[in-house]
Amino acid sequence: MAALTMTPGVTALNAAAQELTAPEVTGPPRPTPRTADGHPDLSGYWKGSRNTKPGGNIGKDLPGWKLPLTPAGEAALQHNLTATVDPESLCIIGGLPRHNASGLPFEVLQGARKIVFLYWYSYFRLIPIDATLKHSDDPDPSFFGEERGRWEGDTLVIDSIGFKDDKVWIDENANPHSDALHVVERWTRPDADHIHVDTLIEDPKFYTRPFTYSRTWILGKPDDQIQEYSCSENNVDKDHLGFGPGPIRSDGTRGYIDPAPLPPPVQRPSTPGK
Amino acid sequence: MKAALAALIAVACLGFAADARLSAHHSFAAEFDGSKAIRVTGTITKVEWTNPHSYFYLDAKSDDGSTVRWTCEAGSPGALSRRGFKRGDLKLGDTVIVDGYRAKDGSNMVDARRVTLPDGRIVSGASAGDGGPGDPTQNR
Repeated sequence: MAALTMTPGVTALNAAAQELTAPEVTGPPRPTPRTADGHPDLSGYWKGSRNTKPGGNIGKDLPGWKLPLTPAGEAALQHNLTATVDPESLCIIGGLPRHNASGLPFEVLQGARKIVFLYWYSYFRLIPIDATLKHSDDPDPSFFGEERGRWEGDTLVIDSIGFKDDKVWIDENANPHSDALHVVERWTRPDADHIHVDTLIEDPKFYTRPFTYSRTWILGKPDDQIQEYSCSENNVDKDHLGFGPGPIRSDGTRGYIDPAPLPPPVQRPSTPGK
Repeated sequence: MKAALAALIAVACLGFAADARLSAHHSFAAEFDGSKAIRVTGTITKVEWTNPHSYFYLDAKSDDGSTVRWTCEAGSPGALSRRGFKRGDLKLGDTVIVDGYRAKDGSNMVDARRVTLPDGRIVSGASAGDGGPGDPTQNR
């Protein structure tokens, strides 16, 4: 038999490996579930759609994916590219809005007064839902910011300020944000199988104007849920990682560009034990 | 023929997590050198079935006959088991063949893209694609 070559997408068996994303739902939309107080229930395990491109890039919805950086923002980007190790690879929280652009699924549990977003790496953010609650005058900086949630009809609005300015990347590609970041998310569940967010990002120190990142996720299977993940359990990488995200490819995602081919697979005779 | 067919099916399963690269704990290109595709053959001396990555350590023979210890980085336990690569597949003393990319810092560390087990099965190391050959996100 000729040397085996890997040809993507030729077998139904690849479905087993696509567990981080979900295929688009077929059939008529199922109605949005609601809680006892009549609001849409955003609870669920949410997986990425394969139509979200480029993944991991907060400029996805901008022409040419070009972020409107100020000179200070450009300098911060260069700093991230050349002098910082990806904070998430050091088990520091990705935070907001990075987690909205992440390839990883997340889980939402919604209560009447609070809603929690549970992320891989065992991170979470807990948001009070109370239209009367205002932001603090001087919140302690955090990776997810100080969150204030309120309903506007069927939309959950989450307004966040008070972000850290060190050990933060705004997305997988090392783009920056400052402590002036202000994020306003508008979450909806248009039908049972989809959750959607419009994320307004405003950062007058690093970006010349506000911009939006919008995304839809697909409901996971009934037995899918977030699992334990101890990022610092055995982080061997931390002593080997270089600075920056690696090359950014022409499709807007980080990764190898023209890597060398692996050696052809070996066909070993099937032997029991060793 | 049966073994070859089984190997073909195993290879077809490789690394088709469409967004595995985005789920990577880190960008693989920030740590591993895409120009340095290597093959390491050795016996397993230790297995760490952990987050954020699993590791297995091989004693490999270098050209001068000395034994060199290699660190092979693979996916998290969940990522591996979803691809049919169970913890029990790696037995101390087994000889495995690991194909992947070498660490940029020159250490004896490889991002295990493909692992050939003693029984002939070829499994994905569930290392995020990041554009490597066979990565379905690259459509190559």
